[in-house]
Amino acid sequence: MQVQALIDSAVAEVGKVLLGKEPQIRLALCCLIARGHLLIEDLPGMGKTTLSHALADVLGLSWKRVQFTSDLLPADILGVSVYNRNDASFSFHPGPIFTQLLLADEINRTTPRTQSALLEAMAEHQVTIEGETRPLPEPFFVIATQNPIHQSGTYPLPESQLDRFLMRLELGYPHPHAEREMFQRRRPNGNERVVLEQRISIEQLERVRALVAEVYESTNLLDYLQRLVAYTRTAAEFAVGLSPRGALALLDCARTWAVMHNRGNVVPEDLQMVLPAVAAHRLVPSGDYAGDGAALVELMRRNVDVIRA
Amino acid sequence: MKPDQQIPRNALVWIIASQFSLVAPHAGRIPIWVLAVYVFAALWRIMVYRGSWSFPGRWVKAGLIASSFAGIFFSYGSLIGLEPTVALLLTAFALKLIELARHKDGYVLLFLGYFICITEFLFSQDLPIALYSLLNVTLVTTALVAMHRPGEHQFNRKTIRLAAVMLLQALPLMLVLFFLFPRIGPLWSVPIKTHTAQTGVSDFMKPGDISSLGKSDAVAFRAQFDGDIPGASELYWRGLVFSTLEEGAWRSLRYFDVPPAERRAPPVETTGESLQYRIIIEPTQQNWLYSLRYARPTSPGVMSGSDYVLFSPTELEDQRLYGVESWPDAILEPELSPWRREIELRLPGTDNPQTRALAGQLRSQAGSDAAYVDAILAKFRDEPFVYKLDPPLLPAENPVDAFLFQSRAGFCEHYAAAFVVLMRAAGVPARVVAGYQGGEVNPLNRTVIVHQFDAHAWAEVWLQGRGWMRVDPTASVSPDRIEWGLERALEQQGGFLSDSPLSLVRYRGVAWLNTLRLRYDALTYRWQSFVTGFDRDRQFQLLNEVFDGISVRKFLLVLAASWVLVLAPLAYSLLGRRRAREQRNCDRYYLQFCEQLAPLGFVRAPGETAGEYAARICRAVPAIAGEVGEITRLYSELAYGPVEASSGRATRSERELKQAIGRFRPARKMRFDRDPR
Repeated sequence: MQVQALIDSAVAEVGKVLLGKEPQIRLALCCLIARGHLLIEDLPGMGKTTLSHALADVLGLSWKRVQFTSDLLPADILGVSVYNRNDASFSFHPGPIFTQLLLADEINRTTPRTQSALLEAMAEHQVTIEGETRPLPEPFFVIATQNPIHQSGTYPLPESQLDRFLMRLELGYPHPHAEREMFQRRRPNGNERVVLEQRISIEQLERVRALVAEVYESTNLLDYLQRLVAYTRTAAEFAVGLSPRGALALLDCARTWAVMHNRGNVVPEDLQMVLPAVAAHRLVPSGDYAGDGAALVELMRRNVDVIRA
Repeated sequence: MKPDQQIPRNALVWIIASQFSLVAPHAGRIPIWVLAVYVFAALWRIMVYRGSWSFPGRWVKAGLIASSFAGIFFSYGSLIGLEPTVALLLTAFALKLIELARHKDGYVLLFLGYFICITEFLFSQDLPIALYSLLNVTLVTTALVAMHRPGEHQFNRKTIRLAAVMLLQALPLMLVLFFLFPRIGPLWSVPIKTHTAQTGVSDFMKPGDISSLGKSDAVAFRAQFDGDIPGASELYWRGLVFSTLEEGAWRSLRYFDVPPAERRAPPVETTGESLQYRIIIEPTQQNWLYSLRYARPTSPGVMSGSDYVLFSPTELEDQRLYGVESWPDAILEPELSPWRREIELRLPGTDNPQTRALAGQLRSQAGSDAAYVDAILAKFRDEPFVYKLDPPLLPAENPVDAFLFQSRAGFCEHYAAAFVVLMRAAGVPARVVAGYQGGEVNPLNRTVIVHQFDAHAWAEVWLQGRGWMRVDPTASVSPDRIEWGLERALEQQGGFLSDSPLSLVRYRGVAWLNTLRLRYDALTYRWQSFVTGFDRDRQFQLLNEVFDGISVRKFLLVLAASWVLVLAPLAYSLLGRRRAREQRNCDRYYLQFCEQLAPLGFVRAPGETAGEYAARICRAVPAIAGEVGEITRLYSELAYGPVEASSGRATRSERELKQAIGRFRPARKMRFDRDPR
């Protein structure tokens, strides 16, 4: 199977509605193939919803959206049991979480209690309501969006919960060319949504995942990964280094990235490509270091030698 | 300042601790204000650490330097010489602490610390000092270790344990260096110790000189005999011969007093059994060495004087080991030269008339010189003469008259001097001999310990046919002194070591204390003979014995072999560690490839992958793109591809990679095709 061609066509399809964001689309796909959940952090109006909706279309997944507000309760996401007078019993009304792709919009605006209900479901792929455990549909993805935390009225996700997201992406402003193209395409014809074609079937997704499981990593590569991780734990700029879970996430994404580029083995470039998206939100700079997570990732990339001397 | 350049808190504490520990043994020698500088510097640095004060400015530093120079100059009156220099170094060592900001300063300070540790040996090489230096070296090393453990905020034993392990690992090398490293003569001479007093017997003798030595319990020297130790009454350690009486003081003949023909002692026919022994003498800052008569040195560098005494051409600034062979029964100078006879009879002036008269009277009564000697000794024995450590002072005019006819109380030098004056007045050649008598036998290692309080003066008389005879008038007055030593002789009147109540020698009666003291003395002897006494000759002797004759070639071979022997285990363990790092062949070849390209302006950044690196080079120099691409492909396949390591395919690819890199000559092509940009 030509995985690269498949992925390229999917990326091109998403690119129709989200112009000039090919790297982010690719990373988002990588995250979904690697069974991870995605966190998109950006200002309002940058295309976060568009991206998630487009991904659902391209993968042919059912799609629901929850707008998180400060008064949202766990039951509003998970569902409630309602008393049915006709047969005198309770019947369960599933919440919006029972879908294949859930867009959790502005997750940092709700209370920690509701956040953790969602995050638990993300980790377990099941929800337990009134003592009954209900599995979530497969595949199950969450794309959460988050406003930059310095905006008021937010409950920033703690580090431990950020760790549950395999990747964090920033979309950023579009490229001037892409933005001009977007202006040209704009036709004020109501709120009609462009429906995209499905490009990857569930079966194809499963086959790609099977390929990922067979990817080969050489000792040299694992060694490089280990040195990258060890660096975050010893260098002075890091207050919190990468956990073993973070390291495994890095490896999973690199493997997926390799498959997405038709390779049967992981090369250092794969690790370096997924590094910012996977590692940046898991790293905490030490008190006297001015940079943020992205700067720390750049430090890792620059200072850890790819080849063991 | 980067955080990794800061001195960690623990290291600072260790540094300050080692500074105080290093200056402690010098404390008695340096002015008290230098110690104050140490306290002041430590206080300042601690205040800097707590953020209350800041590091000194440039002018403050200049002021401190200038005032310490001035202080040393005023305290010693000079900046030259051993003590002022060491004191200056110690002051600088203290002041360096207050500008201790970075790792770099820490290194300077601590390596200076090792040097300061050595300066202590310029003053003493005793066993306790050596052990104390070991402690200091451990402290300084611990501080060095602590400098590299920035995260530690609690003291733990690991730091000091690591330092101790490192020093233990250095031990074999230390032994090799000690035993084998050539003992090169001094390349520079240490400035003379300006403030060290000369100790022991001096080269002239006034009444009271030797009795003042009688109050000291310091060790003068230790002797170890090959055979049996002679009895105490035979242990007359000759040091100096006083032949000249001048202005009330006896002194030895100076070199130029002796005519050239007489400068060598007349040959002596050795008869009877000889004694063989080695002496380790404590530093005296003087030249003479002690021996039993008639002595011939068996060590090089010991000279024999015209009156059968031994001396060293250089002053004894350190402990010195020398071997001697003595023939107690040999006849010294059976024939007296006219010059010698004249010298040994000379009695200047006309003072002490009573003594002269007495001498003339007794000589005429006695039939011979020998009988006259016996008569004088009988006079000392029978008349109420007293042996006393603190005799009354004698007048400057006619002192011998006053001693013989009025006070009749004196120490050995009074009796020896009076006896010689009596002899010379009667025309019998005689002279005073100064040295030590007796000594304490340490049963633990069969050495004789001679203390300063064993200092003694006696006389030698020349008799026709018998040569120089030893006559000890003190033995007639106080036989106990000769047989049992000063302590027994003074038992009645007290006064033995009365000025030093803490001296262990005073408590010889306490058995366990005495055993302990003798055990320690035996250890000191061992230390002195094997460690501080291990000089060039002993080294040569040892190597000669062990290696059955030593030549330069053999020596170099042994030296090299021992280094290899000591360093090989270390090298092996380091190599093992390197092997454990498992650098793969392909990585090594690829890094060679990178090294070839580096001087051409293509230094691979650490985070740059092989692919990125190749792309960068190919863009700049398309001419070598093919080769670079091929090498990179081969390397990537080996390093990251699904190839079993050490499989046939891997070995083939590795060889291919190695050959490709071997063929690769980028410099040649680049000369023409370098991208002009």
